[in-house]
Amino acid sequence: MQRIQVSLKVNGKKYRLETPPNRTLLEVLREDLGLTGAKDGCSSGECGACTVLLDGRAVNSCLVLIGSADGHSIETVEGLQKAGMPHPLQKAFVEKGAVQCGFCTPGMLMAAKALLDQNPKPDEEQIRTALAGNLCRCTGYTKIIDAVQEAAKELRYE
Amino acid sequence: MSTYQFVGKSIERVDALEKVLGTAKYVGDYYLPGMLYARALRSEVPHARIVELDVSPALQVPGVKAVITCDDFVDHGNFGFPVKDQYVLAYQKVRYVGEAIAAVAAETEEAALEGIKAIHLVLEPLPGLFDIDHALDPNAPQVGPDRADGKHPNFLDMSPVYKGNVDEVLKQCDVVLDLKYTTPHQEHAYIETEGALAIPTPEGGVVVYVSCQSPFIDKGILQMVLGLDPARVRTIIPPVGGSFGGKDDLNYYTSAQVAALALKTGKPVRMTFSREESMIASYKRDAAHMHIQLGASHDGVLRACRAKHTFDSGAYASQTPFTAWRGSIHAMGAYRYDACEVEITSVYSNNGFSGAFRGFGNTEACFAIEQAIDEMADALGMDPIDFRLKNCLRLGDETPHGQILTQSVGLTECLQIVRKASDWDRKRTEYSRQAAGDIRRGIGVAALFHGTSLGAEGIDSATSTIEIENDHTIVLTSGLTDYGPGSRTVYTIIAAEELGVNMKRIIMLRPDTNTAIDSGPTVASRSTMVGGNAVRNAARNLAQTINLAASDLLKCSVDQLYRVGEDFVGPSEEVVRWDAVVDHARDMGLVLSTYGKWVAPKIDWDHHGGRGTPYFAYHFAAHVAEVEVDVRIGKTQVLNYWAAHDSGTVIFPEGAYGQVYGGVAQGIGYALLEEALYADGYLQSVNFDTYLIPTSMDVPEIKATFVQTYFSEGPYGAKNIAEPAMVPAAPAVLNAIAHAIGRRIRDLPADLEKVVLGEALRKKGSPVSCKIGLKTK
Repeated sequence: MQRIQVSLKVNGKKYRLETPPNRTLLEVLREDLGLTGAKDGCSSGECGACTVLLDGRAVNSCLVLIGSADGHSIETVEGLQKAGMPHPLQKAFVEKGAVQCGFCTPGMLMAAKALLDQNPKPDEEQIRTALAGNLCRCTGYTKIIDAVQEAAKELRYE
Repeated sequence: MSTYQFVGKSIERVDALEKVLGTAKYVGDYYLPGMLYARALRSEVPHARIVELDVSPALQVPGVKAVITCDDFVDHGNFGFPVKDQYVLAYQKVRYVGEAIAAVAAETEEAALEGIKAIHLVLEPLPGLFDIDHALDPNAPQVGPDRADGKHPNFLDMSPVYKGNVDEVLKQCDVVLDLKYTTPHQEHAYIETEGALAIPTPEGGVVVYVSCQSPFIDKGILQMVLGLDPARVRTIIPPVGGSFGGKDDLNYYTSAQVAALALKTGKPVRMTFSREESMIASYKRDAAHMHIQLGASHDGVLRACRAKHTFDSGAYASQTPFTAWRGSIHAMGAYRYDACEVEITSVYSNNGFSGAFRGFGNTEACFAIEQAIDEMADALGMDPIDFRLKNCLRLGDETPHGQILTQSVGLTECLQIVRKASDWDRKRTEYSRQAAGDIRRGIGVAALFHGTSLGAEGIDSATSTIEIENDHTIVLTSGLTDYGPGSRTVYTIIAAEELGVNMKRIIMLRPDTNTAIDSGPTVASRSTMVGGNAVRNAARNLAQTINLAASDLLKCSVDQLYRVGEDFVGPSEEVVRWDAVVDHARDMGLVLSTYGKWVAPKIDWDHHGGRGTPYFAYHFAAHVAEVEVDVRIGKTQVLNYWAAHDSGTVIFPEGAYGQVYGGVAQGIGYALLEEALYADGYLQSVNFDTYLIPTSMDVPEIKATFVQTYFSEGPYGAKNIAEPAMVPAAPAVLNAIAHAIGRRIRDLPADLEKVVLGEALRKKGSPVSCKIGLKTK
């Protein structure tokens, strides 16, 4: 299969890579760049475990063919912390008990970040709607929603 | 209780940070140099004889390095407990769609898939058994193994509970109800699919990283089917992305497959499942057909219960004999009766296979009995909570099994708490009088008792090790796995409490069969009580040594010592640091490594007579659900939810609340959405587009309360929480729906069709999604 050249900016770092065109952004992130934070839970855009930000929008990276990410800016869970300091969302997830098995957590965090970047003061309903594409089987969502509200507060104070 | 420094306090999970940073490495996150990718060839038919199987063409596929069948294992890879009826790869027959027949290791996932496709396989289809009501017919297709005792080969087990003469008592009852309920198979739907990675060692052994619950069972099976010396097999459990009972058997198959491939190729081999493969191949919660007869007198006294249930074990026994047993113990609910007769029969079929799932038989049994209790309250014209309060088990009562409850029975308090918190009396009255309309509200209750730990299933003990390293770090192990609920945090809290040190000093290792000690399976919500007691004993043993060193250093007796934070203070107010005491202990030649074991109190159960003491303690709970039903489209929204649990002392509150919230969410899914439907043996939903689980839009805010009745055998008085959190949710929701619409739905799930039409609207099933699912990447 003919390979294609792709340029990506991932967590602020530029990458140029050559890859067969039939791969997904998720595969490239995990296999080529070693960024295994985003998870593969269903390979079909149903569970949200692979959620990353593409130019600031939350996308299911399992559905993004690598060619369509060419030239775009990607943010993954590994890019959330700044200078060794966890992002307020990461802190709130820890403090509020929003993490159990942790497998959905990276996707949840990125979906929540996309929301807070756009809407710094979401109400509960808006948070529930923003996370509706991210399945969690452990937590019942209660504490995840608490954590997003908490992080929103902290981000407003920052 | 407030004298504790860590127990019951607000504590962060020990593994939360690595999980939010994205650095926690699950099995599928390992990409080792030279690692091969494995994939299994799986049956596309529900029941067949293997006529021809030639795997050699797979080896001609570029990139394929090895291929294995059952012939690559000792005794064809036969394993299973309590019935040894499973094979690591199919032997002679396949009994369900998705059963692994051969496995390939290749340089890429694509090559592994091509290898699978190249295998020459001829299956001769056999008649399938799909209707469990006919599993024991004389001419039913044989699914179960041949048996010498003359019983039907499809008969697996029958678990009874007997008290008095039910027929006699029913004759005396004023009201007798005869009710049938069904529950479907349920998919665990952990977000991480199954996976295992095997790394060959230079000595000819293998190290296996596997996303499973019970490391020592995995190791035991590997030794047995690979014919390896115990020292040559090591099982390590990395972070596990959810399990709920679902990551045992199938991961044993998988770890044995990758281990054999790793030994054959001399390279690391990893297999991780696609979602479709996971759903098709994995075991499910047993489907159940349940029949209840309930008798009561006009004054609201429950008198007799007969429960005759059939559980669908599917192709293999797996845990179903134990599931059905737990179901039988709880089938009459947490009530007093004059007479009781429970018989749960489990049978083989070709409907996938069933195994452990949160609640383990009680989830199914509780669904039936807690609706039946509600129906009886209706028939008697009594309030459902009043009726339960009048008949429920209290301290000092004798259970229908013949066990006197001597301590930690908090069901009455649980019922009273949810009644008050939910404003039950007002809402029950108001919704009972609501005018006819399309949008209707209802409120429903369910009660629960749930035996703690293994009970009569087996020997119940755990062991932990604890050691102080040269850098003063305290390293703690357990043979039990934390696959999400938070037991590693519970153990860290307990060790810190006993040693009087900051939790940050303690490194709680994940299970590794080379460092931890066999503590039985991580099941039955036994981690806090059984595993926690083991940690407590280990830490207490170590504390004795440290205290001895401190007394030597401070030149006083041990009982003259006291603690200020981590520091030790002697009678003359002289303060020494923890580190100095540890160093002194080392100088004294004391051993700073110890272990602690805890063995559960003996239980006594007559499996044929159906009498005895099945569990040494019970968890009690009451749930209330408030729903709104749109009767035009059948949609039920759970508006509010209250849960009160008598879990004994809560050691790790954040974890305990998390268990309740997650358990209720899973129960709401079971109540309203989830059905892993097998049509002629083919699973109809193979990914999350058709197998729907609750999203953030479906789960309301849940108000949880803990009734902390002290349990003398538990660490600090703790019992358990994980499974009981889910069990009463479905009947609470269904009772609320019945209150809202004035009609009972006795078959789960209460989806749109059942609410509108009263029955499932079902197209004929199709094998297509299974067949496509097994071929996808």
